[in-house]
This record gives sequence, C-alpha cells and structure tokens, in this order.
Amino acid sequence: MARAGKTRNPLVIAATALAVVAAGAAGWGGWQRYDAAHDDAASYAQARDDALAAGEQAVQNMNTLDHRTLEKGLDSWEESTTGDLHRQLVDGRDAFAKQIVAAKTVSTAKVLSGAVTELDERAGRAGVMVALRVTVTAPKGDPAVKESRMLGTLTRTSEGWKLSALGQAPVGSTAG
Amino acid sequence: MSGRTALAGKEVEDEEHLDVAEPESADEPGRRPRWPRVLGALLAVVLLATGGLLFAEGRELRDTPATGNLALTDAEATTRVTGDVSNALGRIFSYGPDATALAKDAAREVLAGKALQQYAALFGQVEKQAADQKLTLTTHVVRAGVTRLTGTGAHILVFLDQVYERRGRPATTASAQLSVTAELRGERWRIVEISSI
Repeated sequence: MARAGKTRNPLVIAATALAVVAAGAAGWGGWQRYDAAHDDAASYAQARDDALAAGEQAVQNMNTLDHRTLEKGLDSWEESTTGDLHRQLVDGRDAFAKQIVAAKTVSTAKVLSGAVTELDERAGRAGVMVALRVTVTAPKGDPAVKESRMLGTLTRTSEGWKLSALGQAPVGSTAG
Repeated sequence: MSGRTALAGKEVEDEEHLDVAEPESADEPGRRPRWPRVLGALLAVVLLATGGLLFAEGRELRDTPATGNLALTDAEATTRVTGDVSNALGRIFSYGPDATALAKDAAREVLAGKALQQYAALFGQVEKQAADQKLTLTTHVVRAGVTRLTGTGAHILVFLDQVYERRGRPATTASAQLSVTAELRGERWRIVEISSI
C-alpha cells in the first residue's frame, strides 16, 4: 500500500463523474430547450395551422349572412378581412345591405375541407383553398344548397391572419 | 496544481469551521465532514433534474400537433406529392371513346389498394359509356393542397375540372372536389383512396 497516496479514491472518481454528467445534462437540456424555442420548422408549422384555421373561419364568415342580423353579419365580414378586400366591403356596404334587405335571404356555410397551398411566413402571406357547402334560404321556395370552392389570400395583421383576397376557384379555365 | 492546493486549503477551513459550529456532526475526529458530499450530491441531482426538465420542455415545444404535419414545412415532399397526385388524377380520369386502355394502364400504375379496386369496379361502365355516347372526358386539376403529410402518407384536397365532350354536342364542364389519400411506395406517391367531398 505504498502507492496508496497516488491511488484515487473510487468515491471521488464516482462523484466527479456524477458532477460532470449532471452538468452535462443541465447544459444539454438547456440547449435542447433553447433550440426548440428557436426552431424555425416548428414556428412555420404553427403559422401554417394558424393561417388555415383563420382562413377557414374567415371564408365561412364571408358566406354567412342573415338579413335579420345584417349589421352583425357585415361587421363580421369586415373583421375577417384586411387590405383591398376590406376596403371594397366597407365602400360597398350600404348598397349591398339594401340588396340583402330587399331579398330577405339567409345564407349559412359549412366548411368541408381546407388546405394551405402556400405560406410565406416572413412576408406574412398565405394562400388557402377551401371547399364548403353554402345554403341560401329565400322567403319563398326551398333552400338552395350548393358546393362552393374558394381560393383566398391571407395577410397577417396584428390581430392575426385575415383575408385580403377571396374568389371562387375558376371553372373551365385551361389552367392545369 | 494551484487549484488543488486551494481546494485542499478550503476543505481544511471548512473542516475547522464545521468543528466550531457543530462539533458532534463529524463522525470521527480527523475524518472529513459529510456535508460537502451531501451538498455535492444534492447539486448533482438538481442539475440532472433541471436538465431533464428543460429537455422535456424542449420536446413539448417541438413535438406539437403542428410539427407532426409536414405539409409545406417539407417543401420538396409537398411539391412532389401534389405533383404526383395531380398527374395521376389527370391520367386516370381522361379518356376518349376508343382510348380507354390508356387510362386503365395509368390506373394500374398510379393507384393502389382501395382506390384501385374502386376504379376497376367502375371501369366497366366507363368503357361502355365512352363507346356508346362517343364521350371524351378530360380532367385537369385546378388546385391541390396538402392537408396532412408524414414521411409515407398524405391527405390532399383537390379541386378539379372535368370537361365532357359528346360527339355533336357542345362540351360541358363539371367541377369536383376530392379528398385523396396517398402513400409513398418506393419513389412515387400512389393514390390509395379517393372520396368526393
């Protein structure tokens, strides 16, 4: 046991190893946490899902209107939109309201399916396609049910994603 | 070396300090006190737990329902699956009165599973109709978007136009909205289910 002084205490070695492992675990965990919080793919995926949810809701709002609660309905249209589309709605509101009051129609819409076709997270723009079923009830006659397919452009605002353009997907065009 | 000396000196100091404060806590005179070890062990446990906790938090941030869906986040796969599916639909739903074999061959190539069975069941009627009515059908995809994408499976929403031309009559266009399920088989995406929405 002459070399006892040079032989390390196994307990010290174990304790040192534990300390290194523990410090490593904390450091690694911290890095994983930091990395996840700054993960571009995760934030992009979240933006895609946010845009789709907002887009589907907005398209549904834009296809829903009841002449008995006209002001509320038109407010919801304006709240769902931004940019040019919003401006057009505000400008044409009075004339459109008169038409609906005269026609006494009730429109309801149900989103059947939707997908985001493009997303530029940095520019805050997204393209969505939404298939929906619209039911229009006039004072006389049976309700008219039609399948509708719409293409919309969303723009991100401080209040979330809003429609900046909306139209029917063209039928019979030669695009392919 | 100097570090070790300093550490040794500190331990001696600590020992003295401990001896003064709580003399009975040392096991035997001359042996090291227990508390630095306990403190060290505690610290190690706290560090380990912190590491574990941070890792779990990171996982939670990363593995959300949103990140499980690769639609658009994997741009290459998204483009590929929409391209393959759009092509496939155009080929299997386009035929002329004397050219149904082409669509049939295409179906064997691009369809699989349930979709292939459905198509085969339908095709007898299609052939008859095309021949009897001198019908030419041309299908093209107006827009396709991926609703859900994983490494080997995809759900795609497709808006398509179908132009019907019967000899001696003006052409009519019908629009259709399909929900398509596709699976990656080897290099190509194959359609395994088609449903109208």
